[in-house]
Amino acid sequence: MISIRDVVTPQKIKRKNLIDAIMRNLFRASALLSASFIVLIVIFIAFRGLSPFIRTYEGFNFQQGVVELEPVNVLRFLTGNLWLDGTLGLSTAYAIGFAIINTLIVVFFAILLSVPVAVFTALFIAKVAPPFLAESMRTVVELLASIPSIIYGVFGLGVITQFVVFVSGFFNYQTAAGLSLMSTVIVLSIMILPTITAISETSIRSVDKTMIDGSLALGASDIQTYMKVVLVAAKSGIFAGIILGVGRALGEATAVAMVSGNRFSGVNLNPLGTTATLTSRMLLGLKDTTGIDYDIRFSVGLVLIAVILITNVGLKYVMRKVGNLDD
Amino acid sequence: MIKTIKARRRKDAIIRSTIYALGSLGAIILLSIIGYVFSNGARLVSWDLITGDFRTINTDVYVTEGPGNFTDINYNGDLELFYSERWGIGFVNTFNRAGNEAVEIGYVHPDSPFNTSLDRNNRDEEGNPRIIPIRAGTTVEKGFTTETVFLGRFGAERIAQILNEGQGIREISIQTRGGGIRGSLITTLYLIVMTLALAIPIGVSTAIYFNEIAVQNRVTGIIRSMVDLLTGVPSIIYGLLGAALFIPLLNNTVGTAGGSVLSGALTLSVILLPTIIRNTEEALKVIPAELRNGSFALGASKTQTIFKIVLPSSIPGILTGVLLGIGRIIGESAALIFAVGAAIRDEVILTERSTSLAVQIWTVMGGERPNFELASAIAIIILGVVFIMNFLVKLLAKRLSKAIY
Repeated sequence: MISIRDVVTPQKIKRKNLIDAIMRNLFRASALLSASFIVLIVIFIAFRGLSPFIRTYEGFNFQQGVVELEPVNVLRFLTGNLWLDGTLGLSTAYAIGFAIINTLIVVFFAILLSVPVAVFTALFIAKVAPPFLAESMRTVVELLASIPSIIYGVFGLGVITQFVVFVSGFFNYQTAAGLSLMSTVIVLSIMILPTITAISETSIRSVDKTMIDGSLALGASDIQTYMKVVLVAAKSGIFAGIILGVGRALGEATAVAMVSGNRFSGVNLNPLGTTATLTSRMLLGLKDTTGIDYDIRFSVGLVLIAVILITNVGLKYVMRKVGNLDD
Repeated sequence: MIKTIKARRRKDAIIRSTIYALGSLGAIILLSIIGYVFSNGARLVSWDLITGDFRTINTDVYVTEGPGNFTDINYNGDLELFYSERWGIGFVNTFNRAGNEAVEIGYVHPDSPFNTSLDRNNRDEEGNPRIIPIRAGTTVEKGFTTETVFLGRFGAERIAQILNEGQGIREISIQTRGGGIRGSLITTLYLIVMTLALAIPIGVSTAIYFNEIAVQNRVTGIIRSMVDLLTGVPSIIYGLLGAALFIPLLNNTVGTAGGSVLSGALTLSVILLPTIIRNTEEALKVIPAELRNGSFALGASKTQTIFKIVLPSSIPGILTGVLLGIGRIIGESAALIFAVGAAIRDEVILTERSTSLAVQIWTVMGGERPNFELASAIAIIILGVVFIMNFLVKLLAKRLSKAIY
């Protein structure tokens, strides 16, 4: 006869508990590792991105040989209107102020173009379209979301810049092969469309059925209900989608770099003129992997992180304000 | 009253058609993107593109034997062959990978003197000219017969005619086709395997920690929100992380010099973490507590329950994360440009730079003359993979919603 104590011995229980403790700590270590990356991102980019303002760099010049370069001036960097004043590799007079403004302009117009289309697409999928069409459109939005940035770039360069060249023909305007604010805005608005649509759709779908029924019972038509009740009720969700879209638009790099024209200086509001975003300035013209021209890209990255955080917090504040006004 | 109803109907109709128009705009955009890459790149997609070198190699060759008569040819290509019987070599008019017209060698007779043609510029160790047999598929740049000169742009027919009339051949400059994507394809596969090997264990363990082990308190909340923050980080910032953290780390440990496939894989695995964590957690959340309690009641330990009960039930969720992750790896460009580099290689070494398919598009689209044809051909492959992954995720979601625990 076997006793339970023969099978479940204290040693076995001990071993089990030990394995449990080891595994628990392994899982915890993984979680801490995953969480640490956001800190590592900030620390390492800050470390590299702040060095151009602190240390000196070496430049080479045929007259004087190796020369020592001044650290970059922070204030000038943040507010300046010219990417690099002087010769590449010999000057540290970098500035990114104009690109910050250009980035905000690009993102603003992209949102302006994208939001109406996204909200109506969401309404179409959630309420208006017959089930089959709604299902197909949902798939279309998912596929658009899955297309990588680089392919939007190829499409932008192959089709949208050509469209801009075509449009500029009417104004007798010579664009830089279609690389322009307009093409950047169009490409970006297409890229954030699926993000805003998906979130808006979820919030439109979750609008209380009784509210819709109440509106219909009061004699409003279905379209009136959608426009005046559903969209208003889904407002906060739509706004959340916009915040997410802004975040994505600010950080978008490859496609934007390909169609922006990456202007060297100045703020541009002319839709047919070139523009430059923070990301396009980081990504284009990458040659060496050392030196000031490389390290300064980390500084631009720091500025990008700051811009994303500030806009995010700002928009969330606006959202809360707008939300409070209703209650 | 009737008037207002009519006015309302009209207004409703206008709004309804606007919703339909704007609602279908996405479909039009998607179709034009797919249409554009297919119309530009479909011609180039071939087995040869997938296995070919990106680099072109130029060689000048000459033949020592005189002309003969090589009539019985066994050509079965699609393009019209212009054949020179005296030299046993045939040419076709085609397009190169940059989309320009080019003359390629379409057929070489088995007895043709071109099977033993010699390299004009390089000799082997013993000082003899190297034998470089001319093969079908190389581009003809220019050449000299004893009488005259011909250039690639003369077209296949002229060249065959000039050769036929020539008494001897002094030299022919040929160029391998190039523009292939073998190196990038191999790099992409390496990146997928290594990234998943890093991201799945860490991501799944993190999800298990949050859902099965962690006590829900403030500290867990902070750790969780730190992980959630990763979702919003743009890929170019991940690229900077790769350049500032992983490249120096690998330089000091493995001994790489600058970016490498390894640093790319490390960077991509951080990018994938949020996706894998989120999808695994979603699968873990729907596993009923009865299942775990049943396991505990039978005397299983926490670890046994996690590995034998919880994880097997969450496989569809993990798989969803993996499929989405593969799509992300294939499409990622900005992060890899910083974390690896943008120089295309034919021979892939893990500790050296090379490009993924997406970065190869970036490289061939940069510069003075963007190569739309090659970029679109690669884009077709990327889109194909990404769309298949999405389709599989949808299929999986359907299976998942039907799952009974």
